[in-house]
Amino acid sequence: MKGLLKTRDKNPEATLRELFAGWLKDGKLSAILVPAMSGSGAATMALISDPDKIQDTAPLMPAMAVNAASVIHDIAKLPAEGVKVGLLLRPCEMRAVVELVKLRQVLLDNLVLIGIDCPGTYKSAGFRDRVEPSDGTCEDAEQGVKGSRVQGLQDSNPRTSSLSDFDNNHVRNQQEQYDNPDLRTACQLCEYAKPMVFDVAIGFLGLNPDEELWVESANDKGAALLEGLEVAEGDEPDKRVKYLEELAAKRKANAAVSIEELNKEMMGPDNLVRYFADCLNCHNCMNVCPVCYCRECFFDSDSFMRSLGEHVMISKRKGMTRMPSETLLFHLTRMNHMMMSCVGCGICEDSCPVSIGLTPLFKKVSRDAQAEFDYVSGRSLDEELPLTTFREDEFKTIGEE
Amino acid sequence: MADFEPRIVGFLCNWCTYAGADLAGTSRMQYPPNMRPIRVMCSSSVDSVYILRALLEGADGVFIGGCHPGDCHYVSGNYKARRRMVLFNSIMRSVGLDQDRVWLRWISAAEGRKFANTVTEMTTAIQEKGPSEFRDKWDV
Repeated sequence: MKGLLKTRDKNPEATLRELFAGWLKDGKLSAILVPAMSGSGAATMALISDPDKIQDTAPLMPAMAVNAASVIHDIAKLPAEGVKVGLLLRPCEMRAVVELVKLRQVLLDNLVLIGIDCPGTYKSAGFRDRVEPSDGTCEDAEQGVKGSRVQGLQDSNPRTSSLSDFDNNHVRNQQEQYDNPDLRTACQLCEYAKPMVFDVAIGFLGLNPDEELWVESANDKGAALLEGLEVAEGDEPDKRVKYLEELAAKRKANAAVSIEELNKEMMGPDNLVRYFADCLNCHNCMNVCPVCYCRECFFDSDSFMRSLGEHVMISKRKGMTRMPSETLLFHLTRMNHMMMSCVGCGICEDSCPVSIGLTPLFKKVSRDAQAEFDYVSGRSLDEELPLTTFREDEFKTIGEE
Repeated sequence: MADFEPRIVGFLCNWCTYAGADLAGTSRMQYPPNMRPIRVMCSSSVDSVYILRALLEGADGVFIGGCHPGDCHYVSGNYKARRRMVLFNSIMRSVGLDQDRVWLRWISAAEGRKFANTVTEMTTAIQEKGPSEFRDKWDV
């Protein structure tokens, strides 16, 4: 099934809340993983099972603390019985989940993949202050700024109602997100604004979200969720297709500029060492990476444990060695291990304490690497991971003179 | 750079290239002593980390020798090594490092002559390139 769903009371976020609450009430889903702002004001996610608590969720909240796939890797690795859990995922999160499924790190059996459009997100740190600036320039809680407020659908909690306005305005003013310099770097360079793999997709890009939302099911699992909804069935409206094309073109152009800048300062031995010079070897980039899935990283293993004598021996080779050692080795090896599955979510850069520009770098390296195998991470559940397979009749020049 | 003696780290598959090197030796074939051989069970067991560690610690070249496609003792290890080499080369190009310092070659147990020739050829090629940029870089 695919078509347009009417937005209730010009409030897209409330419409989604109502939709999700319905799925929980009907028992179609046992729980849903969905963005939410905690009582303490942290932009995070919640696994919601009680439909009465749906007001506390923020399905359209444009803030990203971690890639949801990291959470799903933690909670959906073991077989489960008797539960069905919906996952509301942005495109980069969905792509990471797809990679994790192929890497056999996530079991899909009990999950329903609900993909949603994403015009771009803000960093979660400081997001609360965007919603409610402390200098008093806060959106008028009674009137909202560019959106309308409707009695009855709003939560009485002032924080969640101003958040709701913020979320709705973010999708209403979607044109402004084309070039919003405050978005996370990765989002400014991201060409994948709609989900490619899903059971159910929800869209608002290229539409007037105050009037209508795009819904689509890709299979029976998804169709079961949409059953009973009043959907004006039809193909994706032309204006939406066109909008998504324009957005992708704009973002691709942003990425090209960013990679051009990167090439000037990163290429070659000297520049590369300088690019990573500030690395503390904290391994945050690895720990937050949704597709860096090993339970124990090779770099944290005993293979990298060396005796003092060995360190001295290595030091003698060049006369001195930098400590902590092998930071560049870590990054280059991580590229070799993960570039096939990198989805470009940029969470690595967000978590880097010394602000190394990992987003454009990984964008470039992963795109080049995936192109070698005509692969796009997260594009399909059926495409084989390039490094787990081979063809006899390929790359004939490798290994020959 | 006439007096530059390259240091090449070689990872040789136990079943083919290592035996090929052995044959070159027992046949008294002459070839440059610049390659330090390390015996591995399969070309596919050479993770990129070992290649990169050798390069960053200042090796001037890294050689990986495996069985000819179709001849892998483990059926498909060398095919997988070949794909990983495609990825490795791509990453080296993306970050502007010299992929030609890393050679992957298929040399069977019967090809002692090919082994000796390949090491000679690689030593000459690396000599022409000069020492690795990482040789004196202590802050990597």
